[in-house]
Amino acid sequence: MASLSYDEAAHLLRRAGFGGTPEEIDDLSSRGREGAVDFLINVGSIDNSAMDALLAASFDFSNPGDNSKFNNGEIRRWWFTRQVATKRHFEEKMTLFWHNHFATSSSKVQDIFMYNQNLLLRQFSLDRFDNLLLKVAQDAAMLIWLDNITNVLGMPNENFARELQELFTMGINDVVTGDQNYTEQDVKEVARAFTGWDYVRRSPFAFQLKTAQHDNGTKTIYGQQANFSGEDVITIISARPATARFLTWKLFNFFVYPVSTSTADKATIDKFSKVYLNNNHSIKELVRAIFTSDEFFSDRAFFSLVKQPAEFVVGAVRMLGGTYNPGSTITSPARTSNTLSTSSRNMGQDLFAPPDVSGWDFNLGWVNTASMLERFNYANAYATNRTTTAPGVFVTTDQLRSLTKGSSKKTVKKFLARLGPLSAPDAISTLRTYLETGDNGQPVSFVNDDATIDKKIRGLVHQIMCLPEFQLN
Amino acid sequence: MAINRRQFIKRSAGAVSVSLVMPRFWMSNVARGQEAAADPNRKIFVMIQLAGGNDGLNTVVPFQDSRYLSLRPTLGFKDTDLKDETGASTILGSNPFGLNPAMGELKSLYDSNRVAIVLGVGYQNPNLSHFFSMDIWQTANTSGAGNGWLGRYADQKLVGQSGLSAVSIGSALPKTFYADKVVIPNITPANGTDPFVNYAYQTDARNAGDKNNQINAFKSTNTRSFPTDSFIAAIAKAGFDAEEGAAQLRAAVGNYTPGATYPTNNQPSATAVQFASALKMVAQIITTIPDANLFYVQLGGFDHHSQEIGTNTDNFTDKTKGQHAVLLKAFSLGVKTFYDDLTAHGLADNVVMMTWSEFGRRPNENASHGTDHGTASPLFVVGNSVHGGLYGQQPPLSDLDSAGNIKFKVDFRQTYATVLDKWLSADSQSILGAKYDDLGFL
Repeated sequence: MASLSYDEAAHLLRRAGFGGTPEEIDDLSSRGREGAVDFLINVGSIDNSAMDALLAASFDFSNPGDNSKFNNGEIRRWWFTRQVATKRHFEEKMTLFWHNHFATSSSKVQDIFMYNQNLLLRQFSLDRFDNLLLKVAQDAAMLIWLDNITNVLGMPNENFARELQELFTMGINDVVTGDQNYTEQDVKEVARAFTGWDYVRRSPFAFQLKTAQHDNGTKTIYGQQANFSGEDVITIISARPATARFLTWKLFNFFVYPVSTSTADKATIDKFSKVYLNNNHSIKELVRAIFTSDEFFSDRAFFSLVKQPAEFVVGAVRMLGGTYNPGSTITSPARTSNTLSTSSRNMGQDLFAPPDVSGWDFNLGWVNTASMLERFNYANAYATNRTTTAPGVFVTTDQLRSLTKGSSKKTVKKFLARLGPLSAPDAISTLRTYLETGDNGQPVSFVNDDATIDKKIRGLVHQIMCLPEFQLN
Repeated sequence: MAINRRQFIKRSAGAVSVSLVMPRFWMSNVARGQEAAADPNRKIFVMIQLAGGNDGLNTVVPFQDSRYLSLRPTLGFKDTDLKDETGASTILGSNPFGLNPAMGELKSLYDSNRVAIVLGVGYQNPNLSHFFSMDIWQTANTSGAGNGWLGRYADQKLVGQSGLSAVSIGSALPKTFYADKVVIPNITPANGTDPFVNYAYQTDARNAGDKNNQINAFKSTNTRSFPTDSFIAAIAKAGFDAEEGAAQLRAAVGNYTPGATYPTNNQPSATAVQFASALKMVAQIITTIPDANLFYVQLGGFDHHSQEIGTNTDNFTDKTKGQHAVLLKAFSLGVKTFYDDLTAHGLADNVVMMTWSEFGRRPNENASHGTDHGTASPLFVVGNSVHGGLYGQQPPLSDLDSAGNIKFKVDFRQTYATVLDKWLSADSQSILGAKYDDLGFL
């Protein structure tokens, strides 16, 4: 069994989760590469009772009709609370992957359906892909989002048929061979197969086929003629090698590194796509193969992605040992903090509201002057929030004191290690100078007393979170 | 096409390698106590994206095309419907076209020769994917590859100029502005009275005396050298420009006084307020920063596969209401208010606006009171320097392609070439990679 160094374990936890504490990283490291991945992806075996208790004390979703307790802001607060508090790191990260993949937005879809879809994505995230796709396609959120509820016999609506092929399964062109995967005529014919797909307009909003609106005629799809149903189409598409390659390619781009169009990278995608095809379309086996691969642990992969905003806001709390107190709507009066979801939104990632059905643009898509200021200002707000008794995100002076060393050099290194670990050797002297400069710009010597911690160590956390290195994952 | 669209987006973004040439604005001491002085030679260009695929046939209505109403039995406008909310006709003079009734303000600008309408704009072998077609329009390249067309212009003309010489207002930097040599700032409007309020680098409020130390540390760590063509280099440059630009921008825009009344209080719609506010931000920057000349604003939500017209109360049949009308009203009102503001500031001669949308919509409506993805559509060019009138040619609805879509008559790059050559004094051929005929609207 391959060993797993501390740095490798930290990398794995940053990617398969949102980063963690040295204790969590050490635990993963001790399991070895295969063992650590097995532990992370078998999410059901990890005790999550502490998070469950926190959710139970913080949210009341018993009546989705009660807009004061179930709304747009509440479902976001709920998901960010999960991301910060879960012990099942990979469960939340994989749900985020699928949310981006099947990008559905509250701009058009009611909150209850967005929430239900999120539960569905979490429940089936590591299932057979066919099954996940079918569940998503027959769920109210997607039926509404891509207009399939108005896709009817004689007047097909192509919206779902097009995105199903372009964004959810194959892509326009095969990511390995470059071949065109389907034609405009296929879009029209696939749309016919999904006519009449609808949902019952009362809780639990189950799928129904409106048979009178379903087109039972012969359709020609990918050159085959039959009276294909929507289920048939999902089965056919899920088995196409182009789908295996597209999903592998998306997983690599999300979890490993930006994939190039080089022959070598195409060969890598093709290689891992076989895992999908040879394991009955198991998503779990595909991600297991990817996370245990040498590609995942290659130098090329480390810090090769730009942190997503959710990773930025959640990771800063989890890695440093900070606190996100989400507040509660159960207490009277209700007091809540939406600071994580609003900060992430301002940085460009509004969970439950991706910009369009293609999801977010990753890496430099996150980088512009406005989003960078949001990152810097979240860093400042987090690092300097001394109000530890109210809902919000903060790091306590006690926690900061436990990480502060006797010298400026050791202190800077300690914080760089906690917030990554980051390698930024040419920033260390600047950060030490910061610690050793007083209000009047004159040099002062570093002392680790509480006054210094409250001022300079909070400033140091802010500055480390402003490092270009901290923006990477 | 061997490269997948999303892959391409990432690859092209990954190729950004910003130069370390410091923008002029960042180095000068900007303490402007007044609005920018008028300069008759100043040429300002504002690109307005109508995102989602605007229904061109219901924007500039070809009411005399005999097939229009048969393809649009519920969505189509009769000539008698073509009246704005005051009852004034929106028919374009003696032409067989009328503006959507929601666009009364734009009609008034058209009547005073301030609006050019280019009909039938698209490209060969239209792509019906939103994302691919957006890439094509934004890069001016039918493979969707490369930087943005205005980014390439910026790389030629704006290097070493003010760091605020081009500005995007919106949630993210549009690909049109992707460039190699300059970082074009993107400002996300904040809700509330000051849309620029979030655009500032904040430090510990409790330790104001430490602020300079914080900023010095930030500048030092974000101006280290990083490998070219790397994410980290682009991040450091964007971060540094954000901190420097924000301080200077805020100092400048405080000197603005609006010269027109922009919509507020969700009237006529939240979308209209949002769009007009973005244009107001552009006005703030134009009037206070003399070399801020290139802008990009967005109006989204045009992907009306269903319920394009009407509301619940009229069972989605009232053509003067509904999603499309709300958006076109937002567009029309926003542009007119912005134009009036510029006029009050003596800058209306210096500004040209142009719209684009990734495609129009299918002539034949669907069963959902909506329309599916189409091809060519008209675009608008607005300003005192615009030669008003109709350009291009309306594609006849009797001549549709195999998917039931109209056939384009004007290559979209002709509109870009006209703007580049006739307004921005650039060499369109070197930016667009080929020579495209001038359409004559400037």
